[in-house]
Amino acid sequence: MKKEIRLTVFIYTIFFTHTLFADDFHSIQLHGEADFRYLHTDSDSQNNSDFSKFAEGGANRDLFRVSEAALTLQGRIDWSWTGSIIAKYGHNAKNPIDISEATLFFKPVSTSPWRVNARLGSFFAPISLENTSVAWTSPYTLTSSAINSWVGEELKTFGGEGTVAYHFENGDHVDIFGAGFGNNDTTGTLLAFRGWRMHDYEATILDDFQLPNQAHIQSIFKKQAMTTQPFVEVDGRAGYYTGFNLERPDVLKFRALYYDNMANPKIVEKGQYGWHTRFGSAGLKIALPFELTFIEQSMIGQTQMGGFVGNHTAVDVDFWAHSFLLSKKITEGHRFSVRYDIFGTHKNDEILQNPNENKGNAWTLNYNWLFLKHHQLNFEVTTTTSNVTARTMQNINSTQDETLWQMGYRVFF
Amino acid sequence: MNCFVIFSNLRFQLITMSKNTRYFISFALLSFSLNADSLTLNGTVTTTDGEPVSEAVITLVGTLKTKPILATSPRKMDQRHREFVSHILAAHVGESVLFPNSDNIQHHIYSFSPANSFEIQLYKDVAPKPITFDKAGVVVLGCNIHDWMVGYVYVTDAPYFTQTDEKGAWSLNLPADDYTLTLWHPNLDTPNNVLVQQIKLTAEKSAPIEQKITLKSTSRTGKPPAEDAQNPAYQ
Repeated sequence: MKKEIRLTVFIYTIFFTHTLFADDFHSIQLHGEADFRYLHTDSDSQNNSDFSKFAEGGANRDLFRVSEAALTLQGRIDWSWTGSIIAKYGHNAKNPIDISEATLFFKPVSTSPWRVNARLGSFFAPISLENTSVAWTSPYTLTSSAINSWVGEELKTFGGEGTVAYHFENGDHVDIFGAGFGNNDTTGTLLAFRGWRMHDYEATILDDFQLPNQAHIQSIFKKQAMTTQPFVEVDGRAGYYTGFNLERPDVLKFRALYYDNMANPKIVEKGQYGWHTRFGSAGLKIALPFELTFIEQSMIGQTQMGGFVGNHTAVDVDFWAHSFLLSKKITEGHRFSVRYDIFGTHKNDEILQNPNENKGNAWTLNYNWLFLKHHQLNFEVTTTTSNVTARTMQNINSTQDETLWQMGYRVFF
Repeated sequence: MNCFVIFSNLRFQLITMSKNTRYFISFALLSFSLNADSLTLNGTVTTTDGEPVSEAVITLVGTLKTKPILATSPRKMDQRHREFVSHILAAHVGESVLFPNSDNIQHHIYSFSPANSFEIQLYKDVAPKPITFDKAGVVVLGCNIHDWMVGYVYVTDAPYFTQTDEKGAWSLNLPADDYTLTLWHPNLDTPNNVLVQQIKLTAEKSAPIEQKITLKSTSRTGKPPAEDAQNPAYQ
């Protein structure tokens, strides 16, 4: 509890210091957020070491904690170049404070319909249409969708991304983008060994995740460490993603992307295998009448690890997920959102001791109230039903229902 | 001698096709009064449910070859709370517009409209050079730093123009003539966002007009995204 108190004092010191200088014209801006959370769940989750769909539960069915705190430092180098660093404290992080994103943006002004822009550094692949706020938070829910939870865990890229866009006079634009990246060779590990999970934790650069210890992973893959490091380079081979974006500002956005980390699945280094992971992702956001917003995201892909055993690599898993979110602004500052998630993985490989079958769905209901510009109260419940074959190794029923209640207070500055 | 005439009766519906979420504007010329050498023409632009439409541009071109009287000082379009204020500004061809910055951050505004393309970097407390608009047309403005920002400069070669106020009202002093009246608003759901009609303006004859036109159900507001109100970058 002392840690929480010290962190709270630190957060508010920064908040009020920032407020004192808020009216200055400065090219370096400090923003951030802190998230205080009460959680109650009936889940038996043992953090990342089992197959629960939440990260909380087990011995800690009632939790009060500083869920995360983030500082964003944004600097303008000139009229075309800006830089941004996001440092985070995360309740589950390996290091108390670590860098989440560090990015250099190039966005020159254009007086023609054609525009180019680029970013360089560490940033999330452009998949989520929900996590648009400070430090990758969502204005709609506390718990991210299954897809965006995985993006937060394993889909940060380290590389460069370029975009060419054509803008019409009415504001519509068509963008084509592509990126080359490294340090994403282990992407897919969590989806295959653990399955989809719902949370709002974003891995920081030096983070790692414990793998489910009931899965007997090391008895099958003796070189695999019991933790996966999401942002390491194993084979020295760059990956890529490419896609397009169609947007009518304030009205509609459609984005599609194909991702391939090009990892060599036969290489293992310091306990980390290369996982050849590729997927297609598509998302649609529409502003509807009555202050309604609809967001749909889909993802379908495959990940492979290890040498061939029979006709498949040692681990060969298809994965897919969809989410459908409807959000209504009730009155100024009040928002109600509901989201349905459905997700699954399918095992193609032939190693029976490593069951990676996984499917489920979830409903999330959130009401949030933004007050005094900087403060937000959240009330949320997420309930999920899932079937994970590997649960039988825990001697529990493969089908489980889990519910997570949350009250969150966030301060933004 | 002043003559005050109330227009009435003549109504027509310009666009009757309606969609569920569409709105309507009623555009009514209310009255004119006769001065020694000009008439004062008044009007209002409102939605059918009575909501005033502000900043709509009204231009009038008569048969007389009247030259526009250019403003002696630049017109102004401010940047305030990460929005263009006003959202729409009308100007004569050849007039200049100043873009002051009332925010405590930089703005970098630009336009790629064929009518006038330009870019200008705006610091706080540093007076920028005015931009002269020398071609008629709609100049769509954006900010390279704040993507949601959108503003419009309507550059016209018409001798007379005005814009509706917060109550949707407008007023112009004109000589008696046959006029082509154009109403422009970026959200009008008509080709080129205009509504054109002929007006015969005389001291004796009244021509009561009420127009109802469709506004686009979806359009850019130029305001920061509502769902991200807590985002400090949008405040």
